[in-house]
Amino acid sequence: MFEYLVFFVFAAMAIIFALVVILHRNPVVGALSLVVSFFSLAVMYVLLEAPFLAALQVIVYAGAIMVLFLFVIMLLNLQHRHEPSTRPVQQFLGYTGAAAFLITIVYYIGKYAVYTMPAGPFHADARSIGLALFQAYVFPFEMVSILLLAAIVGALLLSGRAIGHRTGIGTETTEEPAGKAEVSR
Amino acid sequence: MNPWMHYLLWPCIKFAIAITIVLTVVAGMTWIERRLLGLMQARLGPNRVGPQGLFQIIADPIKLLMKEDIMPSAAEKVVYVLGPMIPLLPAFLVFCLIPFGPPPAFAVTRVNVGLLLIVALTSTSVYGIILGGWASNNKYSLMGGLRSAAQMVSYEVPFGLSIVGVLMLCGSFDLVKIIEYQERHVWNLFPQLVAAFIFFVSMNAESNRTPFDLPEAESELVAGYHTEYSGMKFAFYMLSEYASMLVNSCLMTSLFLGGWTLSVGGYGVTTAALRSMGLLGGVIGAAIFFGKVMTLMLVYVWFRATFPRFRFDQLMDLGWKWMIPLALANIFVTGILILAAGTLKIGADTYWYGELALSIVGAAVLAFTLFLITRGRPAATVAARPTEPPKVIHASRVSEA
Repeated sequence: MFEYLVFFVFAAMAIIFALVVILHRNPVVGALSLVVSFFSLAVMYVLLEAPFLAALQVIVYAGAIMVLFLFVIMLLNLQHRHEPSTRPVQQFLGYTGAAAFLITIVYYIGKYAVYTMPAGPFHADARSIGLALFQAYVFPFEMVSILLLAAIVGALLLSGRAIGHRTGIGTETTEEPAGKAEVSR
Repeated sequence: MNPWMHYLLWPCIKFAIAITIVLTVVAGMTWIERRLLGLMQARLGPNRVGPQGLFQIIADPIKLLMKEDIMPSAAEKVVYVLGPMIPLLPAFLVFCLIPFGPPPAFAVTRVNVGLLLIVALTSTSVYGIILGGWASNNKYSLMGGLRSAAQMVSYEVPFGLSIVGVLMLCGSFDLVKIIEYQERHVWNLFPQLVAAFIFFVSMNAESNRTPFDLPEAESELVAGYHTEYSGMKFAFYMLSEYASMLVNSCLMTSLFLGGWTLSVGGYGVTTAALRSMGLLGGVIGAAIFFGKVMTLMLVYVWFRATFPRFRFDQLMDLGWKWMIPLALANIFVTGILILAAGTLKIGADTYWYGELALSIVGAAVLAFTLFLITRGRPAATVAARPTEPPKVIHASRVSEA
């Protein structure tokens, strides 16, 4: 009974805050709602007896990725202005695409959903996840690593080119980019 | 057990105990820190209120409680109020997860992914600082918050990686099992010397203590992220800084200094010996634990009195170019030695050689790295750096709070 209560409270929180992320105009509020949504997801993992995944969810998404998101939002100091939409075709395509995606995902969830718990204990500890990653799924794992490496190299190349020409320094901290640019010019 | 009691009442009791301990230690620590800083800087420190200034512990919170609570009119109201409260919660929660005496009585909550949960919770405390800095709507506060975000994300990586070596040696996320492993062998400090060093540096950075206190660098940013905070909200930020110091010291004690035990190779004050003494043994264990924790807290103060603040690029260099590669190398070497021990079928009696080898390699690598770090940067990079205005050093650095 208690598990159901916890589940419904946190499932509702996850959905409501995910909606806030999409609908709210202020990017900081959006980012914070995403953090709350991630925490609710972590609670879901705990209810599924996968505390390892829950901890990873909080460490990676709430603890690192969203901090970087907030960092970028604040660094750019994004203003939340109400701008009228100027591109009706793109808007239409966006809504249609989103609706198609929603229908597809609901259809496939209905088709492949598991309604009964598998028999036996559910292994989601560090050992079984590590073995699965490095034995059964080692190829996709390595592919994702290469993808991330490519992204890092690309980011370094772009930022190094932008700053390197101006100051003659290969690397520079991202603190105060506007101010630094003024000074060095 | 009644589920309501199991899910609500019992956690509340544990939480209350954790809050009491944290608040007591933090209150004592503010006085100890100020007196000790005074001693190290050849001045007196607070010595007027009560014997040796001890009642300063009570006077400070009363002063902060009675201060007017000012909120800037342009602040984001909800986030501004939430900001100081966010980092307190994980600090208290983490304290519930730390076993400060032999289980079951003194290990308040035992989770089989305990260590991961602790890392997860501590990694969320940065939100308080970022959000406080942003919601104040003040450019100094915002700069403090941004610096804090960059610093925390950078140092979380070596912080997490340094724990991995310990996990590989002990084979468990459970802090109780890690401590019991150490009493059978030696303190992890020795075979994981490099990891311990990285962990200590990163935990200084994570709790924004002096060599790493760029988020509140008062000579550049007024008071950084808490510039606009006064009264109890300011006190909450101070409280969470000290609570995170305490929690990190507890973690370091459990991971590297053998927790509540004082034993090598299973001889000395072990868990079994403490258990045989009953409640008294538990109290002795807790006393040993907090003795180690307080020693680490004093090292924090010593650091503060010794080291000048880093420049921001030095901070980033140290984190990304030294700490992370070093932590990865530590994992690599530890893995090779564990694998070798497994392949050569080294038994418990010869396991010592492996740990000795790890200690010696660790000490050598650490010494060499420290030499490289402190050698200074190549002249070319210094010359290429844009010239900065001369730094003004204030003669009187008033200690905060």
